[in-house]
Parts: sequence; structure tokens; C-alpha cells
Amino acid sequence: MRKSISPQNLTAQLQYRAAGNPPSTLPGAAVSNACPGLEMDFRNVWKRILVGIVLHETTNVVVGVEEDAPAPLYVLPTLYQLMKVEGEPVTATVTGPLIAGGPNVPIPNTSSDSVTNLEWSNALADVLYRYSGKEVVCEFQTIDPPLATLKFNLRVRHFFEKVLLPGGKKATQAVISRDIAEAGALTQSLCSPWQNDYRVCACFYWAATRPDYVNVELGEDGASVGNNWMQKDRTPESAKVYVVDDLQDQRLLTYGDLFREWEKALRFVIGNQDAE
Amino acid sequence: MRRELIELRILPPLAIGRLGSSPDPMDNYDLVIRDPVGPRQIEPAETLRVDRKTGSVSRFTPKAPLRFKDRHGVRPVAPFLEVWARLKGESKLRPLTVELLRAAGLKPDSVSWRVQVANLKIFRRTAVEADKIATDIRPFSDHKVHRLSGRCRNFLPRKTVSLGSVQYILPSRTLPEIRFRFTPAGGKVYGLDPADNVYDSSKGTWQGQYSEPQDNTQGPAKGRLLTQPFQTFAGENKGGDKDSKLVSAGYIDDECDGFVEVEIRNRTGPMVRAFARIASGPPAFAPDSMPVRTVGDELEQAMFGPRVNGRVTVKELREVVEIVRRAMETACLMNAAQLNAGSLQPGSGMARHDTKDWHRALEPMFEPSVAETVAIASRHQRVLLGVESGSLVWFANALRDFDQVADLSTEGRRKMPGLMRGSDGMHLALTRRQVDKIRKVAAAGVRLMSDRR
Repeated sequence: MRKSISPQNLTAQLQYRAAGNPPSTLPGAAVSNACPGLEMDFRNVWKRILVGIVLHETTNVVVGVEEDAPAPLYVLPTLYQLMKVEGEPVTATVTGPLIAGGPNVPIPNTSSDSVTNLEWSNALADVLYRYSGKEVVCEFQTIDPPLATLKFNLRVRHFFEKVLLPGGKKATQAVISRDIAEAGALTQSLCSPWQNDYRVCACFYWAATRPDYVNVELGEDGASVGNNWMQKDRTPESAKVYVVDDLQDQRLLTYGDLFREWEKALRFVIGNQDAE
Repeated sequence: MRRELIELRILPPLAIGRLGSSPDPMDNYDLVIRDPVGPRQIEPAETLRVDRKTGSVSRFTPKAPLRFKDRHGVRPVAPFLEVWARLKGESKLRPLTVELLRAAGLKPDSVSWRVQVANLKIFRRTAVEADKIATDIRPFSDHKVHRLSGRCRNFLPRKTVSLGSVQYILPSRTLPEIRFRFTPAGGKVYGLDPADNVYDSSKGTWQGQYSEPQDNTQGPAKGRLLTQPFQTFAGENKGGDKDSKLVSAGYIDDECDGFVEVEIRNRTGPMVRAFARIASGPPAFAPDSMPVRTVGDELEQAMFGPRVNGRVTVKELREVVEIVRRAMETACLMNAAQLNAGSLQPGSGMARHDTKDWHRALEPMFEPSVAETVAIASRHQRVLLGVESGSLVWFANALRDFDQVADLSTEGRRKMPGLMRGSDGMHLALTRRQVDKIRKVAAAGVRLMSDRR
């Protein structure tokens, strides 16, 4: 255990590993490409970053207003989307080829729209750094035609908790502010139950803690061979054949297996190999 | 002279517990790098063992190899939280101990704890206040186990969901620090069988009534409020091809997050208080690996901004090497060939999303000959081994910027990290601060290498 930490050394506090705690207790062990996530859906910390309104955790749609919000903001929920903050766009146009080898052009989603929102964490990083506690110009646009725009000056909420010390001095603590997310807010948009995510959405994007490809070795042709982590009944002697995700394939764990017996069904993997 | 506490902190400020039904929490361990390109070694570390009856604590070092499961099930990861304090006239925080309390004329039972946690997963879908599952353990100073019994207005009478437990650890002569422990729940799913159902479907809609259609175009009133992705709950598809809906099975899990607060009233001075956040999630099933983009990276960016100001040093070099290592660890556990497939079949990766979500031409992202797990892992290993000869320049140049995630051109999809999805559903970009750090370290390569030597 360290002997002392400067109150201003917020890095040391953020990364502090308490006596007896394994590394998996640290924020540095939790995935943040949350879609929706494993330990928490970190997107939720951005919902209340602009005082007065509530944003969708994923999209740029305004989904609510806070209790004491000024009346003009009440027009926004579900009808308007946030487009820019202090001139910084929070969206991008999706481009690519519509046919293989074709030119890169704006391409539409299922609603014939070529615009996507950027994830809050990166889109608002500079705004948060420069304007925390200050007002910023927020530009909103209607989601449905006719096109209309609105501008409001909204204050950027402090992300980290501020406390008043004896003597009246304010200090920043390394904890996410209470006003940013109520109890339960960080995990609210995770799958329900969480085991559902291990099967439903082909989420191979958190492989470091939710493995995908295990017992990997080089095959005879120089390409790798191995098992799907979700493959049932595998032993060290099992063929190294990756069974592609398919809800109908009986060789893979089912929702029922995960809901009822996840502790038995899911294996710990160490050095890429089944450890049990 | 009596001292006065003027500031408290709980460290860590965000602690993650991991579910498991074993009564014996996971031992402590260190992740040690012995081979610069090999897996991290899991080495037993000093562990604190708590007697749940008395709250007393002792330390021991477990023997290798560590076991992540025992005969009861998965061993939960139950984090400790420590109180740190600053005394009047001092500039630094130090661990709050029995001795420090005594210097302030206080005792361990002068320390008061409160815990508020909730599981808002049902509420997030139904938007009904009565579907919030929550508990608020009012201030206590004893060393008993306090169960976090999640209550909900739409539950059946006297039914609760266990969200875990907490305990104020009894300080001792050898372990005199003021510490607290959060033990997450067992990972139980409620509602699978009538016997363990807790939800009253005559009062709420979660069981058998709440539904979401196959697409998110439900009109402004509802569709825009759905989670993205939607249909992220257990249920059964009902209806025809065109009007199919996922109807909730009504299952409820025992994850949660919330606050642990500590409060101490000085004998003659002011009240001092602090809080930390706790959350519970599934186990890290590959405990020797770390994700490439983490909540730790997000917090660092939120704290210090998207750019690394000033001259980068060996500290940043070490951090960048760690990011490359994490990328390698992720790549080693992904079936790159499968995730690169230009296919609409489930089990395919971003190419499928790009076509289903955006109508992009369906094709693999990389030449199939290069999208191979072992080859990609080797490429990362070469970067790690070649840091001193400038290999980071290639890595830095290959990175995707945060505002390039919508570039689904052939070149755009080949940026790094490859084959992965970000929290906006587009191709993953690292945090802006991670990218800036990597680029600055790559640019400062020669100077940093000589500093390191």
C-alpha cells in the first residue's frame, strides 16, 4: 500500500489498486467499446452531460429534459437531435461503395439516412476538456421533416465530483460525479440478463475478457485452427474446428445453458488455452 | 493536540466486482510480463481473507495455480475499498487507520457507511418507475454483512433480488486501515422457473407483455427511446415475418451499480465525507488479457482531455507499449478469418453490420490471406519487439481517427483497430487520447528510446 497520495494526483487515484484487489477490479480491465458492454455501458455517463437535457446513450437524439429545465427545452425530446456543440459536429456522413469496386459515396441506412452519430466519449472529449462547468452553444435539428433547427446555450456538467473543503476551497475528486449517473445508470442498458449478450449479438468485440477463439494452434496448412469458446463438451482431445455462431447449432451453448448453468458452461481461458 | 480530518477519499473511486456463486471470493494475483510477446503470467499475490461473521481480516498468499472456480461455482471478485484522509495542516492524503482516527479523537465506529445500488435494466426498457430495482442501506458502523436486497414495486409480495452484500471490515493491529468490501451477487437469473419468479406480471409489463419489433422504427414516441442495439433482452419472437416482435420472457439478473459513501464527524470540526462507485459484471474469462480500449482509458480522457500536452516521456512510451500489448491480447482471442468474412450469416463481423445497417457492398475487409489470427498476433508481436527500431510508426499510421469511423471505404475499413465494433456501432476507434499518445510517442521514437536506455 502506498504511504501517501497528493489530492491533486488524480491519475494515481483513478488507477489505484487497493490491497487485496485482483487486477480485474480496475477500470482498466473493463471494456469500453460498449455495444452495449460487459461490466458497464459507459455510454450512459454522457446522457446528462449537458445540463437541462437527457441524451440517448447511443444516438444523438434528445430523449428527455431534466426536472428543472427551462420551458423552451421541452420541445426537444424525441423530436430533435443534437448536431453540434460549440461548433464541433457530433455526427459524420457514412461513405463507402454500394457495389464492390464502386466509388465511395454516401450510403444509406435502413431509414435512408447517411448520417451517423459519433460516440459521445470521443465526440465530446474536447468540449468536456475545454468547457467543463461552462455554457456551450448546442445546435439541434428536427429528426423528421420539415427541417428546423434550434440553438440553446447549455452548461457542460462537471464529469468528476467537485467537493467543498473546509475553508471554502473546491477540490476535484477522481470519482464520476453523482449528477452524471444515478445508482443503476451505468449498467441499465446492458443486456438483460447479461448472459443474453454472450449469445445474441455476435459480440466478438470484447475478446480479451469474453474470448472467441481458444485453444489456437497452427494447422498443417499454416493457418490457425482452434475452438469457438461457446463450443460445448470440448476436451483437449476435441478436434480443433471452429464452429461458426449459429443459434440452431446444437454444438454451441444455448441461451438455456447460459441462463441456468453459466458457471459450469463458460470456461476460464489462460494463455489462450482452456484452463479447466 | 487533537488532529482534525479535513478531507476523505475512497480509493479506488470505481471498483468492479465480478459475479460468482462460490462463498470463497477470488484470491488476489498480479499479472506479470516475463516474455515481452508472451501471455501475462498470473502470479498469486497477498490476499485478504475476511471472516464474514466477525468482519475481521487476515492476510495470506495463495499457492499457484490459482483456481477461478471451486466446487460451488465461480469465485466472485469482491473488491475492497479503502478510506484515505487528509489531516488539517497536511498536504497529502494517507490511508485512514485506527491510529489516525485516534489522533482525531475518533474510533472505528465513528466511521459511518451508506450504500445505494440499483439494477435499472427493466426500467431502461419499460420506462416505468415501478420497475426500478434498488436498495439503500442506511448509515451503519458495525462489521456485520449487510445484504443488498433489491426491492421493486412491481415485485411479488416479500420478493427481492440479491444484488450482493457489503461489509465494513474490522480493523486490527496488523491491518489497521479503514476498509470496506463489496461482494457481488451470484449471477442468478430470476424468472426461469415459477418457483424463483419475483416479478408480478399483474402489476408490470416486463413478463410476457413488454415487446420490441424487429426494427427500431416505431415512431417518435417509442422507437427513438429504445436501447441501441435494441432487443437486448431474453424473450421469444412472436408474430409473422413482417411484424415479428421480441416479447420479454421477464428474466431479471443480479447485476447492479451504485454508490458507497463514507462519513465521519470530527469531534469538534466539520463532517467529512466521500463516495466511490461500485459495479458488478461478469467474470473476466481470460484473466491474463486486457481489452484494447477500456473504461480506464475513457476516464483518463475525461480527466485530461483528448491530447497529451507537453513532451512525451518514457512514462507515455510504457503506456503505449501496454496498448499494443492489449491489442495483441485481443487479436489472439479473435477468429480473424471468420470476423473478416464477407457474409450475412450470423457469426460474421463488421462486414455483415456494414451491409445490414448501411447497405455497403458486401465483401471482406482485408485480403483473406492477411486476416488470420496467428498472422495478426505475429504482426503485433513484431511491433512490440521492434519498438526500439521504430515499429510504432507503422502502428501509429494505421490508426483510425474518431471521426473516420463512418468511412467504410476499403482503405477506411482497414484502419486499426481492425475487425472490431465501437460503442456507436461503427468500426472501432481508440480514444482520441490513446491515438494522440501513440502518435506522439512514435514521433519521438529515437529520443524516447535513448531516454529509456
